Amino acid sequence: MIMAEEPRRKPPQQLPEEPSSAESSPTDESELVQRARKGDLPAYDELVRRYQERIYATVYHMTANHEDANDLAQEAFIKAFHALKTFKGGSSFYTWIYRIAVNKTINFLKQRKHKPQMSLDDLDFNAEHDPDFVALISDKTPRRDVGLTELQEKLNAALQRLSEPHRLVVTLHDVQGLSHEEIAKIMHCNIGTVRSRLFYARQQLQAYLSDYVK
Amino acid sequence: MSQDSHEFESLRRLLALKRHEQPPPGYFEHFSGEVIARIKAGEGAHESAMERLFWDAPWLQRLWAALETKPIMAGAFGAAVCALLVGSVVLSERPETQPLVSGLTATTAIPVQLANNGAGTDQPMTASTFGESVPAADSTAPASAADGIFGLVPRPTATLTTLTLPGSN
Repeated sequence: MIMAEEPRRKPPQQLPEEPSSAESSPTDESELVQRARKGDLPAYDELVRRYQERIYATVYHMTANHEDANDLAQEAFIKAFHALKTFKGGSSFYTWIYRIAVNKTINFLKQRKHKPQMSLDDLDFNAEHDPDFVALISDKTPRRDVGLTELQEKLNAALQRLSEPHRLVVTLHDVQGLSHEEIAKIMHCNIGTVRSRLFYARQQLQAYLSDYVK
Repeated sequence: MSQDSHEFESLRRLLALKRHEQPPPGYFEHFSGEVIARIKAGEGAHESAMERLFWDAPWLQRLWAALETKPIMAGAFGAAVCALLVGSVVLSERPETQPLVSGLTATTAIPVQLANNGAGTDQPMTASTFGESVPAADSTAPASAADGIFGLVPRPTATLTTLTLPGSN
């Protein structure tokens, strides 16, 4: 059982950093891309390190399976390396690699015939003390006796019931913290579509998880 | 939107729990190394023409994915292609209803050089030479629907003609 504690504000983990941060300033990134385009593998290694966590997380939240996420994320980076010559720089490398990973994942999910077998990553030790979670179970959740693992499974099962585009929007916005504009660029659609998909997906999730959210 | 945000506040808090799902410790330390090793091994180097086409035209990829995963879509697409094919064959065999060339001038003089009887001069043989068989084609008159484009061209008709060879009686 999770004990309700005094909410403590701490920065959420795994939130994506803006591409304009010092770590991925456009100049550095474009220089790395130019070098990688010429076959410089250490430069590409640096690019992979920069975005691996975000790409993995996106694919993982879409598939709810660690092994699939591992394969798809790696394949996305491999495909991106070979496709670098076609990268014209119209968008940032960050958006471009996201798009490759998302396309790969959606194709994979459409072709996956069997019911998805969940292979969930473990929750880190901070989960129980996350202020959002603590606030949720302390006063609003109808089922206060819910365990973290059970909640995690129910949450992932509910997400898997959404269509791929709706799941992707929820993942990118509510889990990854991307803006509507960034999501629109990644998904090749307009912002209105992103907003409407997000609204519909939340409505669906709210209904699926009615025992856990008020 | 702020109302929406408030409406889904509990859900957003619940979804935030997913940020705590982490792969095994040390996973990301080896990730990039594995990617680079796979690139060095030549994996993915030979991208098929189909993949390149899909990348250039994302709508084609979406269409292909839909056809691949939804048998109804594939059937409907096949039926549409067949209908298009049959329709185009039928249309191509149907006669034209409008003249394609309105200003076409029909030539009534047939420049056939034949040895003329007695005169010994070469005269172009016209329709009247054969005792009139070619209708006076009014080139500007619209062709009838049944005639189609061929209505503009004078129809040769066969008439009985007597030819007398020089030197024979």
